[in-house]
Amino acid sequence: MALPQTVPYLGWSWDDVVFLVLAGVMLGSSLMVVLSRNIIRSGLFMVLAFLGLAGFYALMGATIVAAAQVLVYVGAISVLILFAVMLTQSKSGPAKLVFHSQAWAAGIASVIVGLLLIMSVVMTTWPLAMPTPIAQSARDVATLLFNDYVLAFEVISLLLLSAVVGGIYLARKDNIPDPSDAVTRSET
Amino acid sequence: MSNNLDAYLVLACLMFAIGSFGFLARRNAIAMLMCVEIMLNGVNLAIVAFGMFTPALAGAGQVIALFVMAVAAAEATVGLAIVIAIYRNRRTPLVDEYASMRE
Amino acid sequence: MPGVFFSEAVEGSTHTVAQAGSTEQLLMLLLLVLPMAGFLLSAVLGRRLSQPWIIAVPTIIVVWAIASYLAFQALIQGAFGNEAITFTAYEWIPAGDFRIPFNLFFDNLTAVMLLVVTSIGMLVHVYSIGYMAHDASRWRFFAYLNLFMFSMLLLVLAGNYLLVFAAWELVGLSSYLLIGFWYHKRSAVLANKKAFLVNRVGDVGFALGIMAIWTTVGTLDFDEVFQLLPAALQMGEIQQWMMVGICLLLFCGAMGKSAQFPLHVWLPDAMEGPTPVSALIHAATMVNAGVYLVARSSPLFANAPEALILVAAVGIFTAIFAASIALTQKDIKRVLAYSTLSQLGYMFAALGVGAWTAAIFHLVTHGIFKGLLFLGSGSVIHGVHNEQDMDRMGNLRKKMPITHWTMLIGALAISGIPPLAGFFSKDEVLGEAFKLGFEWVWLIGIVVALMTAFYMFRLMGKTFYGDSHVDPAVEPHIHESPRSMTVPLILLAGLSIVAGAFLGLPLGASTIHAWLEPVFHPALESAGVIEQPYAIAGIDGILILLSVAVATIGMVLGWRLFGFFRGRAHPDQVRELTARVPRLYLGSFRKWYFDELNDLLFVRFGGVVANSAAWFDVHIIDGAVNGVASATQKAGDEIRQVQTGRVQNYALGIALGLIVIAVGIIFLTTR
Repeated sequence: MALPQTVPYLGWSWDDVVFLVLAGVMLGSSLMVVLSRNIIRSGLFMVLAFLGLAGFYALMGATIVAAAQVLVYVGAISVLILFAVMLTQSKSGPAKLVFHSQAWAAGIASVIVGLLLIMSVVMTTWPLAMPTPIAQSARDVATLLFNDYVLAFEVISLLLLSAVVGGIYLARKDNIPDPSDAVTRSET
Repeated sequence: MSNNLDAYLVLACLMFAIGSFGFLARRNAIAMLMCVEIMLNGVNLAIVAFGMFTPALAGAGQVIALFVMAVAAAEATVGLAIVIAIYRNRRTPLVDEYASMRE
Repeated sequence: MPGVFFSEAVEGSTHTVAQAGSTEQLLMLLLLVLPMAGFLLSAVLGRRLSQPWIIAVPTIIVVWAIASYLAFQALIQGAFGNEAITFTAYEWIPAGDFRIPFNLFFDNLTAVMLLVVTSIGMLVHVYSIGYMAHDASRWRFFAYLNLFMFSMLLLVLAGNYLLVFAAWELVGLSSYLLIGFWYHKRSAVLANKKAFLVNRVGDVGFALGIMAIWTTVGTLDFDEVFQLLPAALQMGEIQQWMMVGICLLLFCGAMGKSAQFPLHVWLPDAMEGPTPVSALIHAATMVNAGVYLVARSSPLFANAPEALILVAAVGIFTAIFAASIALTQKDIKRVLAYSTLSQLGYMFAALGVGAWTAAIFHLVTHGIFKGLLFLGSGSVIHGVHNEQDMDRMGNLRKKMPITHWTMLIGALAISGIPPLAGFFSKDEVLGEAFKLGFEWVWLIGIVVALMTAFYMFRLMGKTFYGDSHVDPAVEPHIHESPRSMTVPLILLAGLSIVAGAFLGLPLGASTIHAWLEPVFHPALESAGVIEQPYAIAGIDGILILLSVAVATIGMVLGWRLFGFFRGRAHPDQVRELTARVPRLYLGSFRKWYFDELNDLLFVRFGGVVANSAAWFDVHIIDGAVNGVASATQKAGDEIRQVQTGRVQNYALGIALGLIVIAVGIIFLTTR
């Protein structure tokens, strides 16, 4: 059966409803990431936030980015983080152990920063903006990527390579003493 | 609302604020990195929103967002490697204790 | 230092200056070099010699011979005529505009001073051979004596004010060393410190006076100053008050060195030194330096009558002040010390009234008989085994005959009994005072003469006559002093008898007048004094009779109360007298509480001031500096705590900074 044009009883468009639901999911899980005491739960909530964001991208019509979001963030980075959590076992403890003593000041500061940003965004008119999002095809994006931004593309790949190498090197078991270990050992 | 650029931007700002609060407030190093990811995601959302609502940019927004994602991935990798290395030494992931550069 | 000078600049001046011939140059330099060499040799070798005086005493005898020769040439032969001779040994301070040569100056006044200094110096050196024979550190004593002779000769021979000042200080140093010779005695150390400090007070004035002279005429050489400064005054380049000021400042230095009121406090305490030191320095030579300075500066003082009046007033006040204290003292050397103060007061009074020659005459005779009296007292002290309290002496006449007779001659001389030395000089001082219009000076001087005679014969009575109060354990051992001590006494006694007549006759045109007239001529001219003929049958004769009468009265009173030869003493009458005026007696005995006044003013009150200044310095000034340091430290401690070493704290800081900047920009742009 075909969906009605607008939501019954409320008269909104379906897009708006989706928007609201996704907004709720995303913001809620972000908050839980930050506030949760159990770090595994934080990680899982983070995955949820990423998924919500992917939904946003799709809603806007940025298909490539939505797919990349799921692949990279949910598929790779979240796994990475969960692995790291596993390797550094820490107990879930009381709030004292989870939050800093400066948490209150941090909260106030971030609230103010958020307000400032929101205010500056809302009060600015964006003269070049269209009233609706304009979908762009993957083909357009790919053309842009490999023509105008091909240098940045190559550099990014090098960056990723060096990050991987660096990560492996830093995280391996130290059977050969290296300078960073020597420094830390002499301190303790 | 979904056709409103400001709405997306407001969402991005909120995400950024939440992420920064978490970054400043949490003691676990990995939690801090998670919050950094959230901040980056918020920024990404803003970039994509700008890109989608502005035909003059013609897809550059998405390209930039892809780059940001790649960089965030690289940064997460290295950051986690460092945290693991420190954890091996200090046996704790709590950043409070990483205070040998004190005074 | 060019040669012949200024006969036209000051009208009628006949005092010219010439370059010294090479013989005279050599002799004058020898006068300085020999005592210095004696000092150095004694200091280096003296300890090893069994008889340290072998170096010092012959040196001084040679010096005396040279000085006598030079003085003879100047005074008797008139080889220098009306001139002074001078020469420059080398340029002492060549500093751009400020050039001070090391120049020596020799005129008749110098000759007279040289005679006094070297003769008494030589006799004291010989006397010290016997007096210090038992002292283990006598090599030091002779070294210091030679140093003193060097300083005093330099002072007398110096040709400019700065050199005099340098010698002035050296003399003060020698005095310090000699007063504190027995340095393990606390009283001696206190005394020499006191002497030096009080002298220093006077020296401030002296130094300021020298600076004033320099700034007004740009030179410090004697002949140039005496030429230029009165000329500047006449031509109106400097004011009268400047001249008076310079003279008063110079007199300030003289007050310190010659112990005039109120800087007299050091002289009685200086008796802590050995008796030859008292005789040489504090009777015959050093204390005369002040008188010499004022006499030498007579051309300046003559142009500042106000200063002269002050000089006379201070002098005569000191005379009566000191005499009043000498009436009651018990220590034999203290009596003589106050007597010296009193006679110095006479000299300054003479200078102040304008009787320059009389002052120098009295200086000469006083040196002779005061030296005699001190050396005699030293002999007495030596005889009674270091007892200085007269209450414990008495009837020493038979046991120490030579000392007795020579001291008797000295006492007669100082009392002014003719024809001994003191009569001529004292009478001249008082007579000139009266004739030049200063009757009040004359009147006080007469009273002082009475007191002088009285206390001198009190001293004689208590020491040599009457009943013996000597400590019985000591009494059998009293004997006359050795020849090295008695011979100088005899010589000085002989001089006391003849010197007065030799120098003072014929009355009215005496020998010493002839000698010193060229020196003081400019001063007398500036003062406009007219020489009156000597009227022996008139005013002068009356004055002479009065002073002799007064002296005799004093003498007889002393005899009556304290004994004379076989006349008995009447201690009961003495007691009755003192009982009648207890407060006066006590005041006199306690030196009129002047030392206590000084202590109150300077030590106590000054101590309070100094303590509060010290408190201020420690708490407020140091407190401020330390406060800054501790504030910085505390601030640093506080701020250091920002560096926690935790990244999140720094990140929070970044966030806060961002907020501040953003809010600031918003406010600035929307205003």
